[in-house]
Amino acid sequence: MLSTKQRILNASVKLFNEYGVDAVRLQQIAEEIGISVGNLAYHYKSKDAIIESVYEQVIDEFSHIFRQYLQSPELADFDQQLSLYYQFFQANQFYLAEFFKASTTPGDHTVAWQQAVNKMLLQLRSWLLFHQQREVLKPEPTPGFYDQLAQSLWMSLVFSPIFNTMRGLHSTETSYKQTVWSHIRPYFTEQGLAEYQADVVPLLSY
Amino acid sequence: MRKKPFSIDQAAYANLLAGINNLHFTERKGNLSDFHLYSNDQWLADTAVIEQLTRSKGEWQVDLLFASIYNPLKFLKRHITSHVCPKRAAQQAHFMRRLAAKDQRGTLTVSADQLNPCLN
Repeated sequence: MLSTKQRILNASVKLFNEYGVDAVRLQQIAEEIGISVGNLAYHYKSKDAIIESVYEQVIDEFSHIFRQYLQSPELADFDQQLSLYYQFFQANQFYLAEFFKASTTPGDHTVAWQQAVNKMLLQLRSWLLFHQQREVLKPEPTPGFYDQLAQSLWMSLVFSPIFNTMRGLHSTETSYKQTVWSHIRPYFTEQGLAEYQADVVPLLSY
Repeated sequence: MRKKPFSIDQAAYANLLAGINNLHFTERKGNLSDFHLYSNDQWLADTAVIEQLTRSKGEWQVDLLFASIYNPLKFLKRHITSHVCPKRAAQQAHFMRRLAAKDQRGTLTVSADQLNPCLN
């Protein structure tokens, strides 16, 4: 049984995704989980307090994905991390939308998010380096090439669900993963390709 | 007041990740034979523990002797400690025996009869 506080947060995330953060009223959140506005006000003084808690939760969830980095050296390990990224970006689309608003002054959560994004980029770069050392990926064709690759991986990871939504396509976990892997695939060595075919491709075709 | 979230410097984080990467190159899986010590030392569970005090180099040396209750010829002797004072050595030996033995009261024993000596 979830606590009322947690139920409020979950309902808020759901409504934020549907209507955008600004459009949601406290009344709607209360109705969503079937409590009174008075009860809601007991748990959270204002909508800002809810938003702040939601943002904290989002950063926490994101940090959880970071902790899964390189649990095991195989390629399939990254595939698991991809699943987590997909679930995260699917569940928190409203969060990215907030960044496209004009004239927002950077708040605490913006700084926290920027740090998280930089961490994500560093992880991707580090992951590429690891597999280069493992001889699963080819050596860099030109210096700084894998930095670029890490950036395009990052963009696919973050924006491909939104990109699909813009095109009116339904995004699935499999298509998401395929998009990301398609960036990496050309740079596999023979050994890497064999591992990819054996371990990752079966995971992509369910 | 809201507590400030912990943040790590980017260069430090990159170093940390490099450390995790190296872990997979430097650390290897162990062998199954590494676990043999469990089965190899199993017999030590059923041993009579006998304390032994000997005078050596001006000190009283405490040794513990672990003899299998099924076959007293299978035994192991380990030096524990040594004391200048014989009383303290005896006390230490008593406590160490109680610590090491499976049965603290000393019901697991071995006797000379078990050796099956031929008296002819």
